[in-house]
Amino acid sequence: MHEEIAEFSLKKAQELGCRYVEVRVEERSSNGFVLKNGNPDISGFDMISGIGIRYLINNNLGFVSTNNFDREKISQILRRSVSTTRNSSRISKDVCFSDEKKEAARYKVAQREKIQDFTGDKKLNILKEIDGGIKKLPQRYLTLHDEIAEKYYLNSEGSRVYSFIPKISLMYFLTISESKKSIQRYMSHGSSSGYEIIKKWNLIEKIPEEAEILKDNLVNGIKSPKGDMDLVIGSEVAGIAVHESVGHPYETDRILGREAAQAGESFITNKMLNTKIGSKIVNVIEDPTLENSYGFYLYDDEGVKARKKYLIKNGMVNEFLHNRETAFEMNTHSNGCSRANNYDVEPLIRMSNTYVKSGDSSEDEIIRETKKGIYMKSYMQWNIDDKRYHQRYTGGEAYMIEKGELTRPVIAPVMEVKTPTLWSSIDMIGNKIEMYAGNCGKGNPMQGIPVYFGGPVMRLKNIMVK
Amino acid sequence: MESIIYYISKQLSKRGIDDVVVTSSEMEGKHLKFVNNKVVKTGSELTSSISIFCSKDKKIIYTSLKDMSKSKADELMKKIMEFSRDIQPNEDYYGIAKGPFRYKAKVDYDRGIMDMNESDILEKGINKALESSKRTTGDFEILHLKTHLVTSGSVDVLDHSSSLYFSIRAFNKKDESGHMTCCSNTLKNFQIEKTSERAAEIAVLAKAPKEVKSGRYPVIFSHMAFAPLLNNISEAASIYNVESGFSFLKRLNGRYGNFTLMDDGTLPDGFNSCRFDEEGVPTKRTVMVDRGILKTYLHNASTARKYRTETTANAGLISPRPFNIVFDCKKGDIFDVKEGIYITNVWYTRFQNYAEGDFSTIPRDGAFLVKNGKIVQSLKGLRISDNMLNLLRNIKCCSKDVLQIKSWEAEIPAFTPEVLVDDINITKAEH
Repeated sequence: MHEEIAEFSLKKAQELGCRYVEVRVEERSSNGFVLKNGNPDISGFDMISGIGIRYLINNNLGFVSTNNFDREKISQILRRSVSTTRNSSRISKDVCFSDEKKEAARYKVAQREKIQDFTGDKKLNILKEIDGGIKKLPQRYLTLHDEIAEKYYLNSEGSRVYSFIPKISLMYFLTISESKKSIQRYMSHGSSSGYEIIKKWNLIEKIPEEAEILKDNLVNGIKSPKGDMDLVIGSEVAGIAVHESVGHPYETDRILGREAAQAGESFITNKMLNTKIGSKIVNVIEDPTLENSYGFYLYDDEGVKARKKYLIKNGMVNEFLHNRETAFEMNTHSNGCSRANNYDVEPLIRMSNTYVKSGDSSEDEIIRETKKGIYMKSYMQWNIDDKRYHQRYTGGEAYMIEKGELTRPVIAPVMEVKTPTLWSSIDMIGNKIEMYAGNCGKGNPMQGIPVYFGGPVMRLKNIMVK
Repeated sequence: MESIIYYISKQLSKRGIDDVVVTSSEMEGKHLKFVNNKVVKTGSELTSSISIFCSKDKKIIYTSLKDMSKSKADELMKKIMEFSRDIQPNEDYYGIAKGPFRYKAKVDYDRGIMDMNESDILEKGINKALESSKRTTGDFEILHLKTHLVTSGSVDVLDHSSSLYFSIRAFNKKDESGHMTCCSNTLKNFQIEKTSERAAEIAVLAKAPKEVKSGRYPVIFSHMAFAPLLNNISEAASIYNVESGFSFLKRLNGRYGNFTLMDDGTLPDGFNSCRFDEEGVPTKRTVMVDRGILKTYLHNASTARKYRTETTANAGLISPRPFNIVFDCKKGDIFDVKEGIYITNVWYTRFQNYAEGDFSTIPRDGAFLVKNGKIVQSLKGLRISDNMLNLLRNIKCCSKDVLQIKSWEAEIPAFTPEVLVDDINITKAEH
């Protein structure tokens, strides 16, 4: 790591008059593999390193990045950047950060089967073994990616944090066809760990099983009934719903309008804290510290210690996601949600691992107590408006529930619902949580960041299905 | 940097690599982000990198070098050789383009953009929108890029590009907003005030929106709203996406409606124009869909050889991709509808099934009910839930005015008119 260059850059920015300075030096080494229809399409490896410097000068915020570690070059672009920030000061907003504790830490995520010890051939064979079980499908697109991210963070208030986080992710996209009809399945898995996670995912067995189920759904599924009914949603649907309609609208940069031009704003306002948003049994948690999770970290990119948070507690809006800038504006403290996906972009408020807390019921009990409805176990498509209020989920694997039993498969049932209705209609929550991985996009330039989301099976009472 | 790319190219060939493509890029950028009429962040970036694509016995490797020293290049090449022993061949790979080539395209270039006063320009943009809206939010980006491409296929070519991008969203009261972007390779063609004026104009029109009844409507897509859909359609024309299941354009020479869709990397003012593609083939205009008939997919040299056709100069060394999309169809009065909906922006387009074309997308900012050719009501809370093949079949006519649109939802710049499409399914969350 270029720790001494980071210290040099911090001092240099201070010499130029910056009141507050923070520096991130990052080194990322990665490997990527694509298997398309059984054919190894491309394999790659990369080593990226660079430095990102964020500063406040006359209360105006500036950010500069480079992958050139030459001291003279860094001094030169810092001078230029500070000059750009000064030039824009007459049309700039005063930015202040909340006071936070000085942190000093070094942490590493352990790997049992190290990324560095796996050859390209071995990694590619992981995809080939999975593909071996689904060769009958006309189109299979599988990717495997691993990365080791080393980061050194420092700021002018004395914080120094070093982290070492390995990540593995595997994505598959399948087209399942039968009699001129098709259904497609996209799913990704991710973990902060070594390659030991592959066995745990057990995708060699799970993916062919999923493909068989979806084929059966395609062949034997009935048209979805329409109207108000009980809708049981699986962990996968609960996960995407909690990410899109709880996590995102609780991001305070959206609430304050900072992301309005691209990622949008929020239907949530500051005044809604401690007001009802869902039924009493609903609790939503955001927790970056979950071990081996895809969104894992212990300190954010402002050097603030991460912690578990209840976004919804007993159906009430409980806490938002903050960085130091929004915390100052809302007169509170940061809760450690500031993340950048690389050294060359500013940190933004991001989710990490977001999930619905488990309840008391088993999946069987929820089905058994539903007289008539639909079980939407997985989804094929979703979207939500930019205030996170109107959303739509189209079911993938789905079944009719009749007299407390799963009967026939249903093709593509649609839930198109407003956010308060969704979270207020939940009357049963399962006791087992499943989590799923994703890359969440936000910001300009676009930053895709690893996130994890999930929950238990849940029943939504009397929801309109299309 | 110049000497390093020749060194890498020669050394890799010496070591038995069959195809080598080495691309160096030196990028300098500035970024002003503004929120509620004030700049909240200035950004500066300086990045140099070398990307390397190589094949050895059909084994394809992609990597990059960020430290330009000879010793780091040697380390990287050693790793490439080791890595190539570890992986397996791509039987679908048929080699890079063989040059040398002659390059004719002349792309607009403005050397001075990095030295201009970006704050003065941005201030004009913000102030223009504030003449009729209450608050504005957006981005202003300035970029200079130098690219040098050397390949084992006798290509050695250099290019400079300059670009300016502005995105502004204007707001009045709750749910009353308008969004517009502009992009250009030169300052003289950069219409920041006109862009701001349009965003604010939509925000004013969007006064007091109401929910619309679900159903099928003729829909008029503004330039901003149609460009993201053109991105989806053009990406579906990449042969890579057809092979992977990401395309609804599955019938070459099949009829998809009555419109023309082209890719053109040679347009002087095209935001993504470049004299050459990623393997050095001179860019050109490619008619993908000619009056409704799908004439060709987008190819690079390797995919073209596989399908016994010519490259369309759209490398992407792995996945062919468009440079600048150009759309055309019958000109007409796009507001000639008894009852329809005018949409000025879309957001979060997602496919339920790429192969079938089932998708939905969410109109955002101003959306309007149109009766007998006139806007009568501002709308909110609606969604398009339809099929892309239906949409293409139902294209009726387009306006004469064409704008180049690039946005968060339309990463590939599109030269598009406003377009009237019949019989589009509009849905909404009822509760």
